[in-house]
Amino acid sequence: MTSRVGSAEDRFEFLQTLVTEFQDSDSQDAKEQILANLANFAYDPNNADHLRELQVHELFLDALTEENDDFVEFGMGGLCNLSMDPQCRAVLLQGGALKLVTRCLSSQREETVLSAITALMNLSEPPFGPQVTDPAVLQCMLRFSLSDSPRLRNLAAVFLQDCCSREQVQQVEQQMMGQHGAVGIPLPKS
Amino acid sequence: MTPRSKLHRLGSYFERTLVNNIMAAPSKSDSSCWSVPKVYKHHEQKRVCISRSKYREGRTARAVKVYTINLESRYLMVQGVPAIGVMRELIQLCALYGVVEEYRPLDEYPAEEFTEVYLVKFQKLTSARAAKRRMDEKSFYGGVLHVCYVPEYETVEDTRLKLQDRRSYVTRMSQRREREKAQLEKPKETTLSDSATTSDTITKQNQMSNRNTAEVTSSISHYSSFPLLPLPPQEQPLYSPVHQQGSMQTEDGMGTLHNAITDPQRQRVHGSDHTSSSQGQSAESRPPTSHASGVRLIPRITHLENRKRKIQNPGQHLSSVSGCSNVFIGPKLPEPSKLDMEDASLDTTVSLIRNAMKQVESVPDLKPAKKKVKPRRRI
Repeated sequence: MTSRVGSAEDRFEFLQTLVTEFQDSDSQDAKEQILANLANFAYDPNNADHLRELQVHELFLDALTEENDDFVEFGMGGLCNLSMDPQCRAVLLQGGALKLVTRCLSSQREETVLSAITALMNLSEPPFGPQVTDPAVLQCMLRFSLSDSPRLRNLAAVFLQDCCSREQVQQVEQQMMGQHGAVGIPLPKS
Repeated sequence: MTPRSKLHRLGSYFERTLVNNIMAAPSKSDSSCWSVPKVYKHHEQKRVCISRSKYREGRTARAVKVYTINLESRYLMVQGVPAIGVMRELIQLCALYGVVEEYRPLDEYPAEEFTEVYLVKFQKLTSARAAKRRMDEKSFYGGVLHVCYVPEYETVEDTRLKLQDRRSYVTRMSQRREREKAQLEKPKETTLSDSATTSDTITKQNQMSNRNTAEVTSSISHYSSFPLLPLPPQEQPLYSPVHQQGSMQTEDGMGTLHNAITDPQRQRVHGSDHTSSSQGQSAESRPPTSHASGVRLIPRITHLENRKRKIQNPGQHLSSVSGCSNVFIGPKLPEPSKLDMEDASLDTTVSLIRNAMKQVESVPDLKPAKKKVKPRRRI
């Protein structure tokens, strides 16, 4: 246990160094690498406190608004990892993550979309109640559940089964039957 | 076919899921048996990144890639298995990392000549993770394996369980950290108040007085935020053996020997009941709340302080030379130091290594060495 605690200080320092370099660097490559680094660090729950303290979630959310698709993918991956932690979830919801993450459902990259769906599922976990009630999101999930990609299909299915009520889904299905608007919207390329 | 027409064909979503659930296993296998499995992008090995700056370089070269739970799976695909009938050996190797529930060759998957591709389903995700880490890019009967996760073979239920497991694991870890933090904060509330008030002045004094004695070692002075490494042997004479022994004895006599060791780890290990050590703990428990890495160390310094003063009062030689250096309270971030490796990245590496060494140094059985280091610490 002591070694774990001891390395925690090191780790904080290292993470801080990363964040600092990300902010100071002008090189897109370096930024991209660091973003990926931080997103991977977010996978380990032991880093959650450090990352929250360093406000890395803001960094990830910023990345979602970048032009570069890699940035968006890595930022979304980081948020997906970070949102597994209940405390980070609270911070993310306060920071208005829901809207930015929802926007990523329209990404052309499957990995980004998958991360977004998982993050939305996480953000809808009990303490914060069902956050995603927007019929447009449910429509989107219904479309995903018809996708050719098994991963997207499965994840959307889990979302529809676990994060919304049966009535909600049926209601949205009715709407989709009735209108043509939803048809023809492209699914993400894999 | 448009999504809409699919919808019509399949009826309502829930009817469909019912069908899916009943058919779960067969539909999975027939999609992979009767149709050629697709080659997805996440099967490919990404090129390793060679432009990382030095301090961010790991032991092995890696691609720039982000892993999420979506990419992980208890299904692994093993490519590059020599086609010489070693399936049994391969599965035996896999089984070293956990229970293998199912496996089969993926004959339809495009493979390199004279190699085979296998699908391996582990019982647990952790086993798959271990297997991937240990087997990927390792040689196996003359071939080099490429192992990747294949989450597309998961059923809806697999995916659900995977996510639930992950969430509950992270939640458990989070709760555990909370508990630990709460335990650490209890002693803090009771003991911190008195030391905090005096810390400023004392620290200042001490920093000044020690600054001079250590000018020789000024290259490390930037790193006063953490205990320093032992200095090179030639500097030993600076500190008279008598003085050192004196300090050791004092500490022994006061029963606070363990607090003389500045490493937080050790404070935590040894002291749990008396107040002085709980200060050390509280100093540690604060980092989560304070942004600057500097602030959290003050109580510990203060603490060392008090002891130092007691030692110094008899022999004034340290404090008498004070006066020429600037005030230097609290640690600085490891920024451009006099370590001049002529490369910011290398400098960072050096400071990281220093920290690592410090940790190694602080292993309890090295007490004597550590004590020698201590007097020079507040440079």
